[in-house]
Amino acid sequence: MEAVGPNPFLFVSAVLFVCGVVCMTTKRNGIGVLMGVELVLNGASLNFVTFSKFTPLGLDGQVFSLFVIVLAAAEAAVALAIALNFYNNHLTIDVDRGDELHG
Amino acid sequence: MEHLGEKLAALLAIAWLLPLLGFTIEVFGGYWGARNCKKAAYIAIGCIAAGFVCSSTALYLWGSETGWVALESASHGGHDEHSSATDDAHTAGDHGGHDHAATVVEHHHKQTVFSGCFYRLAKFGSLNLSLDWYIDSLTLTMFVMVTLIATCIHIFAVGYMHEELTDDYVDHQVHTHDGCHFHRPGRFYRFFSYLSLFCFAMLGLVLAGNIFQVFIFWELVGICSYLLIGFYVERHSASTAANKAFIVNRVGDFGFIIGLMILWTSFGTFSFADQHAADGKVQPGLFSMVRGSDGKLEATDGIVVLKTQQDEHGHWQVPPDSSQRKTIAYTLLIVAGLGVFCGCVGKSAQFPLQTWLPDAMEGPTPVSALVHSATMVAAGVYLAGRFYPMFTPEVLLTIAYIGCITAFVAATIAIVATDIKKVLAYSTISQLGYMMLALGVGGWGAGLFHLITHAFFKSLMFLCSGSVIAGCHHEQEMPKMGGLLRKMPITALTMLIGVVAIAGLAIPGTSIALSGYHSKDAILATALAYTKLNSVHFLLFLIPLLTAGITAFYMFRLWFYTFLGKPRDQHLHEHVHESPLVMTVPLLVLSVFAAGCAIGGEEGVLFRMLTHSQPGHVAQGFNGLAAQTVSLPSHDAIHKVHSTAGSAALLAAFCGMTIAYLVYGLGLVNPEEIKKQARAVHAFLANKWGFDDLYDTLFVKPAHVVAKFAAAFDKLVFDEILHTVVRFAVVISKWDRKFDEGVIDGFVNLVGNSTYSLGIGLRGVQTGRIRQYVTFIAVSVVTLFVLLFAFYPKG
Amino acid sequence: MSVETMLFWLFAILTCGGAVSVAVSQNVVRMAFSLVLCLGSTAVMFLLLGADFVGATQLMVYVGGTVVLLVFGVMLTATGPFTKIKSSGADAILSGLIGVIFLFIISTTVTAVDWGDISQKVAIGTHQKTAARGFNPEQQGNTTRPLGLSFLSVRADRDLNLSRNVPSVEKPVEDAPKLSSGYLLPFEIVSIHLLVVLVGASYLARAKRRVATNQ
Repeated sequence: MEAVGPNPFLFVSAVLFVCGVVCMTTKRNGIGVLMGVELVLNGASLNFVTFSKFTPLGLDGQVFSLFVIVLAAAEAAVALAIALNFYNNHLTIDVDRGDELHG
Repeated sequence: MEHLGEKLAALLAIAWLLPLLGFTIEVFGGYWGARNCKKAAYIAIGCIAAGFVCSSTALYLWGSETGWVALESASHGGHDEHSSATDDAHTAGDHGGHDHAATVVEHHHKQTVFSGCFYRLAKFGSLNLSLDWYIDSLTLTMFVMVTLIATCIHIFAVGYMHEELTDDYVDHQVHTHDGCHFHRPGRFYRFFSYLSLFCFAMLGLVLAGNIFQVFIFWELVGICSYLLIGFYVERHSASTAANKAFIVNRVGDFGFIIGLMILWTSFGTFSFADQHAADGKVQPGLFSMVRGSDGKLEATDGIVVLKTQQDEHGHWQVPPDSSQRKTIAYTLLIVAGLGVFCGCVGKSAQFPLQTWLPDAMEGPTPVSALVHSATMVAAGVYLAGRFYPMFTPEVLLTIAYIGCITAFVAATIAIVATDIKKVLAYSTISQLGYMMLALGVGGWGAGLFHLITHAFFKSLMFLCSGSVIAGCHHEQEMPKMGGLLRKMPITALTMLIGVVAIAGLAIPGTSIALSGYHSKDAILATALAYTKLNSVHFLLFLIPLLTAGITAFYMFRLWFYTFLGKPRDQHLHEHVHESPLVMTVPLLVLSVFAAGCAIGGEEGVLFRMLTHSQPGHVAQGFNGLAAQTVSLPSHDAIHKVHSTAGSAALLAAFCGMTIAYLVYGLGLVNPEEIKKQARAVHAFLANKWGFDDLYDTLFVKPAHVVAKFAAAFDKLVFDEILHTVVRFAVVISKWDRKFDEGVIDGFVNLVGNSTYSLGIGLRGVQTGRIRQYVTFIAVSVVTLFVLLFAFYPKG
Repeated sequence: MSVETMLFWLFAILTCGGAVSVAVSQNVVRMAFSLVLCLGSTAVMFLLLGADFVGATQLMVYVGGTVVLLVFGVMLTATGPFTKIKSSGADAILSGLIGVIFLFIISTTVTAVDWGDISQKVAIGTHQKTAARGFNPEQQGNTTRPLGLSFLSVRADRDLNLSRNVPSVEKPVEDAPKLSSGYLLPFEIVSIHLLVVLVGASYLARAKRRVATNQ
């Protein structure tokens, strides 16, 4: 039996990443954008863990993925707070409405 | 006795410097703040009066210390003693220890001439430029005369100038553009500061011990004269007159400078007297070099050998060693003398430079009295007298003729002048001509005698005219006066004293006369003796005699015209008033001196005082050997013809007076008819012999033409060049501007515009939409990858 | 095909499907559900990769914490019309295009690399003994202790003395191991960071008076 190599894992993480990007670009809902970010972070995290197994990166990759998870959690908390604030101020969650900084 | 010279110098220096102190205080004392304050006048009077006291003290000291040697009867046989007057100065060091109670003969050997140095300004090689002093009886007499007259005139001026004691002086002779009279602050203090400065300069001139110092103060009195003539500077006539006086004097000073240059080159010294150096050596002065101790001027083959060596008796001799001899060409000596005399011509308003003096009457009347009659203009005569030993007979002849012509010309013009001050001005010129004539014909004493007497009576008459003018509210034209005798008796009577004095009247057969008679008598006697020796020059007696008659005529004409007869301008006459005491008292004082200063004539105090300083060679006369050389009369010869000349002069004066009385006093002949009869002559005289026109044509107009030509040249050539350059520069700058605007600005604008438009363009990218930004990021990453794959080297 | 492989493929499909569902779905609630699915599957992937601690953390923190947080957010904001906010078709097409290209690029990159060769090259500095002593595939499923030690600054799997000299048969390294420092400082920083983030988040999300509605 042949174990699964790194490529399939990397491919999965690529799919996660691309889906996250697409999610960020298409979703007008602020929460949706946030979800895209989570997807992107997860893809990156999966990459780290993959390399920790298949290369001499070793435990470092797992440590980094742990940091990524923690930071993602923190980011999610702050981003949600921002989203709620935005909602309070604009009465909507549509990010296209928050374009006061346009040129 | 030894320190007499220093004492005299100190006293006279105080008298000399006090006016300078006064001037400094008046200028810097802040009197411009208080225009109605008389302090400046009091300071000026105090200074000059103190100067008078010092001068008088010095004169008394000099007299008593020398045992009044000057006043003793100069026996005509005693030429030897007289001739050694200057010699005394050199030898007195040996006799200085004599007892005061010495014999008469020994008195003659007492030192009466002193010289020394105050301060050395600079030394160029052998030439010393220093402030020297030279004191003899002439210096002392001049000091007393100047300070006395100046004091009187200062006091008079306090009254005369009182209108200036205001913050708002209205000058009725100046009109502004809007037709009003000119208003300005009064200049009382300024007037007195000028007067003080003038006194300082005049006294310095008299005290000067070398010809260069004389020149310095010469110019200083010139500038004072300029300032005072132009005192009413807003009046066009006054400023023009001031310029005229200054420029005409420059002509004379040009000759003066030439004389100075010759003296420096040939003699190497400017000093009158011998100079005692600190090491005991004695440097000969100008007089010693030329005349030596015996007063002889010898020329061999046109060369004068200077007497630069002292023999064992202290007499100056020609050095026996020919290699040490200093020589000067005789012609050069003549030129030097003429040059210095040229300065005198300018300063003393002699023909042909006499034209400035009448115009100088634009100044305030006290100025005319002090500067332009009594002192400054007499400085020329004084210098001619002081410099007398340097003049060769040829120069003296020139002086005589110049003086003669001046006297006659000025006297004739005075006949037709109607302005009271102008008459006096021409009379001054005429009298100065007399003095010059006297010097020229060998009457050294007579000339300076007349200088002193004239100073008194002419300043008196000017002050009287000032009093008349002030009384008539600044009316100077005699035809508008008349009958003023009752209105202003003091002025009229003092004026009469002056008139009699200048006319030279005397009671026939006696010597009871006013000062003018004596001095004019002496001059005419000298002139007569001269013409007897040199019959070619007979005019030198006849013209002055005629002039004496004319003088008497026009002076009495003035007096009759002004003070007698019926008032010709009733309105004016009603407002006439006698002047206040401050003006009449100086008149009285001066009238006393004008009447009595020459008491005794040539046996009197004044004449003897003066002739004591007479250069040694004058008394014996001079016998011209060659045909072209003139002879000078000796005192004996003069004395012999004295009574003849006196009678002639008296006769002429009486004739003049009688005619004046007939015409103007009694009115037997109407002057207007005479004027009509001799219209051409009158016009000629009224036109001042055409001198002004002549100079106008000869000098002023050519100068204007040259100036116009120069102006045109400037305008046409220089201006054109400048304009071309400027136009060129304008063209260049236009191009430069285009370059700037087009290229430099264009570039900068291009950068700015492109940046701006770029910003505008990129502004559209900044939509503010987060999703779009994310899209951009993704696209950028993709693009980067594509580029990486496309261009990254494989392998 | 072993069970492990089957599991991998199963959860790979679940992960990708969840992710695509998140990207495609228009309903935010569905998105949240898909996200839970996706993240959970990713945790399984971690476990499959032998990272047991990380996988557990993923499940607890993400699925149990972050997603709950997101769902809270959804619930707080999803008032009626905002549940579905449709984006334009052009946006979707553009994004999809970019995504496909992106995916293509990453895939080609990934497949172009020979990972075994890379591992060999990288592993030169690492001694065999190290591998035996520290983390290695044989120890998979037991990473909690080494991770904890590394956070306490003790690295069991890294001997710095070994990386100094290139190992060879003639000269075996017998020195005592010199352990490298671990992640104590980053760990502390992350701790502080979390604290700050929590404070900041609570500050931001605190209840405020609504200005816009009243006016």
